Amino acid sequence: MSRYTASSVGRATRFNFQPGIFLALAALCFATLVYAATPSSSTLNPVNGSSASWAGGGIAGATADETTCVDGTDCDVYTITLTGSPANYKGLILAISISHQIKLNDYDLYVHKGDLTGPVIASSTGGIPETGEAVVIDPTVSGTGVYTVHVVDSNVAPGDPYTGVATITTPPTDSLAHGTAPTYANYQSPPGLGDSSGEPSIGANFNSGRIMTQAVFDTLQVTFNTNTSPATATWLLKDGPNTSITTLDPILFTDSHTGRTVVSQLFGTTSLSAFTDNDGETYTVSQGGGIASGVDHQTVGGGPFRLCTADQLLATPVPCAQLAVRGPITQYPHAVYYASQDIGDAAMALSQDGGLTYEAARPMYTLVDCGGLHGHIKVSPSGIVYLPNKSCGNTQGLIVSMDNGLTFTVEPVTGSTPNSSDPSVGIGSKGRVYFGYVAGDGHPHVTVSDDQGRSWHHDLDVGVPFSIRNTVFPEVVAGDNDRASFFFLGTPSAGDATGADTGPTPFNGVWHGYIATTYNGGRTWFTVDATPRDAVQLGVICTQGTTCPNGTRNLLDFNDLTVDKIGRVFAAYTDGCITAACIARGNNSTASHTRLDNDGATKATVIRQSTGLGLFKSQDATPLKP
Amino acid sequence: MRRAVLPALLLFSVASFAARQPAPQILGLRLGMSYAQAHSRLSEIGQFKSEDEGQQVWTLTHDQRFQYAIIGFDRDHQVRYVTVLARPDGKPVRYAEVGDIAQATRSGGPGNLRYTWKLNDKRARLEYLVIAKGKDQHYLDRYAIKRLGLENEREDRD
Repeated sequence: MSRYTASSVGRATRFNFQPGIFLALAALCFATLVYAATPSSSTLNPVNGSSASWAGGGIAGATADETTCVDGTDCDVYTITLTGSPANYKGLILAISISHQIKLNDYDLYVHKGDLTGPVIASSTGGIPETGEAVVIDPTVSGTGVYTVHVVDSNVAPGDPYTGVATITTPPTDSLAHGTAPTYANYQSPPGLGDSSGEPSIGANFNSGRIMTQAVFDTLQVTFNTNTSPATATWLLKDGPNTSITTLDPILFTDSHTGRTVVSQLFGTTSLSAFTDNDGETYTVSQGGGIASGVDHQTVGGGPFRLCTADQLLATPVPCAQLAVRGPITQYPHAVYYASQDIGDAAMALSQDGGLTYEAARPMYTLVDCGGLHGHIKVSPSGIVYLPNKSCGNTQGLIVSMDNGLTFTVEPVTGSTPNSSDPSVGIGSKGRVYFGYVAGDGHPHVTVSDDQGRSWHHDLDVGVPFSIRNTVFPEVVAGDNDRASFFFLGTPSAGDATGADTGPTPFNGVWHGYIATTYNGGRTWFTVDATPRDAVQLGVICTQGTTCPNGTRNLLDFNDLTVDKIGRVFAAYTDGCITAACIARGNNSTASHTRLDNDGATKATVIRQSTGLGLFKSQDATPLKP
Repeated sequence: MRRAVLPALLLFSVASFAARQPAPQILGLRLGMSYAQAHSRLSEIGQFKSEDEGQQVWTLTHDQRFQYAIIGFDRDHQVRYVTVLARPDGKPVRYAEVGDIAQATRSGGPGNLRYTWKLNDKRARLEYLVIAKGKDQHYLDRYAIKRLGLENEREDRD
């Protein structure tokens, strides 16, 4: 009893003599009260018109995405409970919207099933200028029970509170993409350059406006002269000092925001690599890759480090300090990552000095989890690292690191099926993941995640408008959170289009390059034939690696896709059909289209978006010119 | 009974590597072994799980220390590498049980440690790597043997 009294006195004494703590706690309580949604929850019934509204707390702040906000500071929570069973909602949907007054403020809306740790099943993350966000949820699919609405300050100044409305209503009936589809033009590399261009990479330097692309040994700088329309292209050879000697795999990566391009040629357990900050005028030779990296299928990527915001630092100082240890150690502000696979596992290494040196490679997964070969690294604006994989158990997979490449999780891409082409991801400005892949049936699919790959939605076959039955080399790039493009080679011909083609009847098909684009977060896509009068390949495109017979694997394993500063999309591909005779056969529907009719060429070609909306809404006022 | 004794003996041979050169075999799976011989051995110690690009994953059914064996074959269908993954709840294996760590190259650091032995079996004319990796300072997560000197190291190249 006496001990209890003494302790109580002691606490009271400390309280009295540390008014700062008291004030801080009082401020925290006040902030929580002020910033909470009012009311904080509602219950809706399976009746058309059942509705509830709430007032946002006037939160203010700026965050990169949902993962970097602190509840009560720059995001708040509202809970909706749907009564009844999913079947009760047949013919009904749950519509949730928020609105505010000032166009230069930007709130984002995320809806989790269950609490905040549950999957994000819908989100609306438009950018400035906007005065609202809205989502639609089908309870017959997502279920009843608790939904948690998370309203996040993307960039909100004080004094512009939002209001929220949740309503049970009837569903919209229109699922077609509206507006005008983009158009594209093809630019073939000049003779003598890019003649051996299997598995090309491409990057856009936002600072110079130039495009960098790599085609096996040729590192090419491409400058588009926009004083004429259509624009003309100037191609220059800009090889690195050590990256045109030998290769087992070529990779080029451009960090668009810093303008640094890393060129890499696989060479055993590391790579011969160099980087340039002036589009290939001068290079710095680098370590090449992480110590003890794998020997095969390297990829290089990069972007912002994952670091805490000031609010996060206050809320969770320990993990923030751990992240900071893996932050930049030189003036170069971004992370560079190198990944490859070897004897039974795949590993990734971080460079904290812009790709000059790398740490020892850290295991990401083993063959128990996923196939060894993987796609290419992408980094979100908030520093989350993604690496797609075509086969993780019964689905495709996404390897995710939330701590600058220290640890990794393997997320299954639910709804997908494995295939032989490496998938690709594009990351929107607020973290939305677009996963482009070839399904087990050969069709081109793209699916979307708003929770770092933990759940997926809007999985669509974007080849339907062209009846695509076989697909290879899916490549994705995103711009704004709700805009992305998906490039792939496809053919409407059925059959074994990606095998060794050793049967008595060779595969007969014409391949074109297609680009699908969404402007609404993946709900609808425009799909365009970007090589309409010039086939990319006739006959088979073998994706069985080194076991492929000669003449079937001229395109090697992938293409690439990027976006420039104004949102214009560029694709790099290898053209296997370049002679007039081959092109003519491709355009003749009654001609034979087997590998025997193909050129088997490997010519570097770039697709440039000519017209239509780009991937950055902020540039919409200035239409793209061819 | 015989099936239980043989793996135990082979395990003992793994454990007795300490202070001597690690052999080019794990659990009776030897580098250069034929596909048929390897499958015969694998069938004794585990169950086939999956295959990817010529690399196979087997679940080890009788082993207290290792949960999976991953095995890769070269173009001649001979064993090119073997990797075993430690059982998370199994008997831990020290790096030093693989071989004399004083003779190994140590790389990485805390949380990402790796010991590599580059060795030559002159009788078998076999150059090979032995690699033990793990997050822990003393106990390994995985252990691999890999044949060197092939035409290139990328027999599993895509």
